[in-house]
Formats: sequence, C-alpha cells, structure tokens
Amino acid sequence: MKVINLFTSSILVTLLMLTIPIMMTSTTLYTNKLYPQYVKTTTSYAFMISLIPMMMFLYSGQDTMISNWHWITIQTMKLSLSFKLDYFSMIFVPVALFVTWSIMEFSMWYMHSDPYINRFFKYLLLFLITMMILVTANNMFQLFIGWEGVGIMSFLLIGWWYGRTDANTAALQAILYNRIGDVGFILAMAWFLANLNTWDLQQIFMTNHKNLSIPLTGLLLAATGKSAQFGLHPWLPSAMEGPTPVSALLHSSTMVVAGVFLLIRFHPLMEHNKTMQTITLCLGAITTLFTAICALTQNDIKKIIAFSTSSQLGLMIVTIGINQPYLAFLHICTHAFFKAMLFMCSGSIIHSLNDEQDVRKMGGLFKALPFTTTSLIVGSLALTGMPFLTGFYSKDLIIETANTSYTNAWALLMTLVATSMTAAYSTRILFFALLGQPRFNPIITINESNPLLINSIKRLLFGSIFAGFLISYNITPTTTPQVTMPHYLKTMALTVTVLGFILALELNLTTQNLKFKYPSNLFKFSNMLGYFPTTIHRLMPKANLLMSQKSASTLLDMIWLEKILPKSVSHFQVKSSIIITSQKGLIKLYFLSFMLTLALSLLMLNFHE
Amino acid sequence: MSMVYINIFLAFTLSFMGLLIYRSHLMSSLLCLEGMMLSLFIMMTVTILVNHFTLASMAPIVLLVFAACEAALGLSLLVMVSNTYGTDYVQNLNLLQC
Repeated sequence: MKVINLFTSSILVTLLMLTIPIMMTSTTLYTNKLYPQYVKTTTSYAFMISLIPMMMFLYSGQDTMISNWHWITIQTMKLSLSFKLDYFSMIFVPVALFVTWSIMEFSMWYMHSDPYINRFFKYLLLFLITMMILVTANNMFQLFIGWEGVGIMSFLLIGWWYGRTDANTAALQAILYNRIGDVGFILAMAWFLANLNTWDLQQIFMTNHKNLSIPLTGLLLAATGKSAQFGLHPWLPSAMEGPTPVSALLHSSTMVVAGVFLLIRFHPLMEHNKTMQTITLCLGAITTLFTAICALTQNDIKKIIAFSTSSQLGLMIVTIGINQPYLAFLHICTHAFFKAMLFMCSGSIIHSLNDEQDVRKMGGLFKALPFTTTSLIVGSLALTGMPFLTGFYSKDLIIETANTSYTNAWALLMTLVATSMTAAYSTRILFFALLGQPRFNPIITINESNPLLINSIKRLLFGSIFAGFLISYNITPTTTPQVTMPHYLKTMALTVTVLGFILALELNLTTQNLKFKYPSNLFKFSNMLGYFPTTIHRLMPKANLLMSQKSASTLLDMIWLEKILPKSVSHFQVKSSIIITSQKGLIKLYFLSFMLTLALSLLMLNFHE
Repeated sequence: MSMVYINIFLAFTLSFMGLLIYRSHLMSSLLCLEGMMLSLFIMMTVTILVNHFTLASMAPIVLLVFAACEAALGLSLLVMVSNTYGTDYVQNLNLLQC
C-alpha cells in the first residue's frame, strides 16, 4: 500500500492546524478563558502529527516539494505557493513545535495574571506560523513573507508591556536593525531576479554562475541583521524587555536562528566561494568572542542568557564559515532545547522572587527551588558541551571540525576563547543565583509546584539530555566527520571548558567577601557592551539629522530662497540710500522747476529766428 | 498736423502740467499721470488704425500693462504715506528718515 501521500498530507495538516486558532479569533472561543489551553493542545497535536513526515523522511531520505497554487507570472517568472520539505525543514519543524508546545504551557503559568493572555497566545501562534512559513519556503518570496512576519511578531511581542518606555525603544530597535538586514535580503532577491530569472531555490542551485559574491553578501547581511551578529547586535540584549516566554521562544530558539537558517539553505552557493566563507568565519568569530566578553559582567540574568544566545549564534555562523552547514543545523536543533529551558528556568526564578531580575539580589535558591536548580544546572552543562549531553553532540563536533580543518587561525583562537568564556558566565549564573546565602527580601513568594511549570520544563529537560543523542544517531549521514586527530585536539573543547569553569569558580569564591573596588577599564568595556550602543545610537542619528537640517532647511530654504536675492537687495538699497541721499523733500519745487525748464526749452528751440 | 492729433496732444500737455503743478494732495498728481497715459494710449491707437500699422497693434496693449504696473506702484507709495501721516499732504514729506 502506498503511503507516500501520507507525507505531504501530514505536513499540510500540521501547517493548516496551526492556523485554526487564529481563524477562531472572531468567535466566542477567543474571549473564553480556555483559549490558551486550546492553543497549547493544538500545538501539541501539530507536533505529534509532524513526527510522521519526519520519520518518513528519515526512513526514505527523499526530498519532497509541494507546489500548490500558481499566484502570478511576471513575464517569464512564475511565482507559486510551494513548500520545500527537505532535510532541514523536516527536522526543524518537529523541534520547533516541541519547544513551542513547552513554552506555551510555561506561559500559561507565567502570564497567568495578564488580562490580555488570549492576545498573547494569538501572537505566539502567529509567530509560530510565520516561522513555519519561513522554514518550509521553496522560493525566496515566500521566505521573505515568513522573514518579515517573524520580524513584525517580534516587534509586537517585545513591546508587550507597552506602557514601559524601555520596551517600546527595544521593540523599535529590533525592527530597525532587522530592516538593515532586510536590505541585504532584497539585494539578493534582486540579483537572483536579474541574473537567474527566478526566485525558486531549485533553479538557483542548478544554475552554474561564475561569481556569486553579490547575492551571498546580501544574504550575509540579512543573516547579520536577523541573527544579531556583530555590527547589528544590540537589539538582542535589548529584546529582553519582553516577557520571558517571548525571550524563550523568539530570541533563543526560533527567530534568531532564521538568519543562520537562511545561510544554511543557500549552502550550495557558498561551497565554492572561499572569500564569502572567510568573511562569514571572521564575522562569526568576532561575534562569539565579543558577546561572550559582554556576558561576563552583566547583572541581569536574562541579559546574560541573551548574550549566551548571541555567542552560540556566532558559533553557528563560524560553522557555516568552515563549510559545515549540516553541523550548524544540528547545533540549531540542539541549542533550541537547552536555551529555551534556560530561559524558562530564569522565568521561574524571576517569578518566585517577585519579579527580581538582578542576579546580585538572588542567592540561596539551591535548596528552595530544587527542580529549577536541577534544570538550570543541566541546561548550563548542556550549553557548555558536557560530554554526552545534548550540546556535546553538536558543539564538540563543531570545535573538532574547526580544529582539524584548514581555516583561519585567528578565528579558531577566538572561538576557543569564547568557548571557555561560555563556561565562565554559566558558572557565574549558577553561583550568583543558586549558591550562597539568600540576598533577596525575606517575604517568601517562592513557589514552583505548579504542574504547568514543572511539566513544561521536564519535557525540555528530557530533550536537553537525550535529544542530541536521538537526533545524531537517526539523521542521514551527510558530510564525513573527521575521526582521527591528535589527542590534544580531541580534548581541546573539553579542556577549555573545564578551564573556564575552574577559573570562574575560583574567582567567584575568592572575591566573594572582598570590597568592590572602583571598576577597571576592562570591566567597564565589558559592562557597557563595548560602548557599541552608546556610540552608534547617539552619534549616527545626530550626524544624520544635523546634516539634513543644514542642507535642507538652512541651505535651501533660508539661504537660496530667501537671503540671496530678495533680502540682500532690500538690505543693500537701505544701506546705500542712507549713505548717498542729500535731498530735502521739496517735491513741488522740483516739479515746478522741471516744468519751467521744459517750457523754456520748448519756446527757445521753436521760436528762434 | 490734423485736428485730432492737436486735440490729443493738448490733452497730454494739460495732464502733464497738472502732474507738475499741484497744491497739497499727492493723489491729484497720480490722477494726472493716469490722464497722461490715457491720452498716449488714444494717440497711439488712432495713429495705428489710420495708417494701418497692423503689426504694431500690440503696442497699445503693452502700454496699458505697463501703465497698470506703474499706477499700482504709485498707489502703494500713496498708501505708505497715508499710513504714516493719515493724509496725503505733500508738505508732510519733509522727514529724511530711512
């Protein structure tokens, strides 16, 4: 019996099922108190149904493309609604749905007292739908729809508490930085349209073009904007103004990997372009090191985890830079599990301490919140690449491949230093939040016994421990991993991580009771995020506004239109008439003398003999 | 010279003398200016029509346009004087202020 139809039908059912709660908005279901529960169960069913096409794909290894509805044909280019169901989208869709299911259950607990919780869930679901559109898109136009969609939902969700100025500023910052990246995306689309006459991925990969640097630069710029690489990175730590479920979903697992996903989608184009790979590698190395440095001295627990996300994104870009797109994709999938869980644990801590986010005011939660402590420690260990947890299967492979490939030594060194810093700031979170004596108010609001919270974190906990193993041993083998290397290279990642752990723990323990001196320059550099937002956010807008005021208002309006001819003429006339006048204003005398002269001259000239 | 021309020339001369000889009101010299323009216009039109200078037919209209401009200018000066002093008596214009 042919079950091949089950593949396409299941994936379309998954995608369509997610849109049903949105369509129910106009009915009484939306104003019901049970709407969040409904959305959560819809997502869980969508996850379970999406497991079917994933397992079918892993069994057969066969790419599929669904092309539904022919939208428009512009002269020779045909645009239609098409879904690309290949290795990347088939594995990413279940992972994203699983993580979103857990986050929705978590936000049923976290946003419980919010009066607009139904709208919050609608926004989360809209975000999920646009992310699915992005991931399964087969042509660049559909990808762009998903791309813009996640940008807009990010804006709406970051500015959820819109009464707060910082939240509005952060949402606007996210939109602006993403817009700069969108310019690169449109550049790539325009180039593909002009030179390859298509926006379909199949046709782009078939055509053998000599120099693809221009569209690849555009795509890299788009990835820099969306995935917060160095230069367009300040929006990601600012985006922590949004609620914790938003940070967990958008800015750790799903939206910010869209840029990396774009580069992974276009990996056949990057394979043969060494220049672009080097640029990507250096950009990723700078990002991962810089954000790791910034994460070391932050005091807000969500900001530390945000910088950790940014650092891991830099690592993914580094992986693309060494021409290993499949490893980067594996890291995307594994990173989603433990990073979302880290955010959810921090949300649990924040709510338990009555909305306290400063890590210097936490402490002693090791015995008070046992389940959160467990998952926080497991998540941090998975993040740093503890052997045989989830992060190990992707992160260690990346470091090994980077060590044994012919690559830029400086970028490699930066990546290794950033890896040890990952361990350092993870230790910092654990030390300040969990260990020692409590530094918060004595009013006890600590409570983690809600089943919604426990179940959602438990699911991601199992994912953080086992998902790496399960995914790595079931996917189709793609690139051959390097299996022989000197033992010092093999243990390099583990060594630097352990070094970071030990160093951070020693520093924290020995300086615990010392007086805090006036901060050094290095500390200030790290705490102020490298002074990047301070300079760029003030210097560039001021320069632009000043230049436009000078040229448009002052130069054109005031000088050319007013001062050059009219006002200068009148001014000159007044001044000169003051100087050279010598009249007395006897008008009648002047007229009479004029007439007399005229009459006399006429008489003389006419009546002479 | 025919009678028509002498008549019109006499009208012009009378207006001209009225422009130059007046007692107190600035308005009267402006009125005589208009009279001068009118007589010039009539003379020009009659000459052109009698001698069939067809191509010069636009000259009277041009003259009319320029006469309108100068009348406006004269009136604006009158208005400025009247704003400062309340009347247009010529003996008021004896202050040399700029």
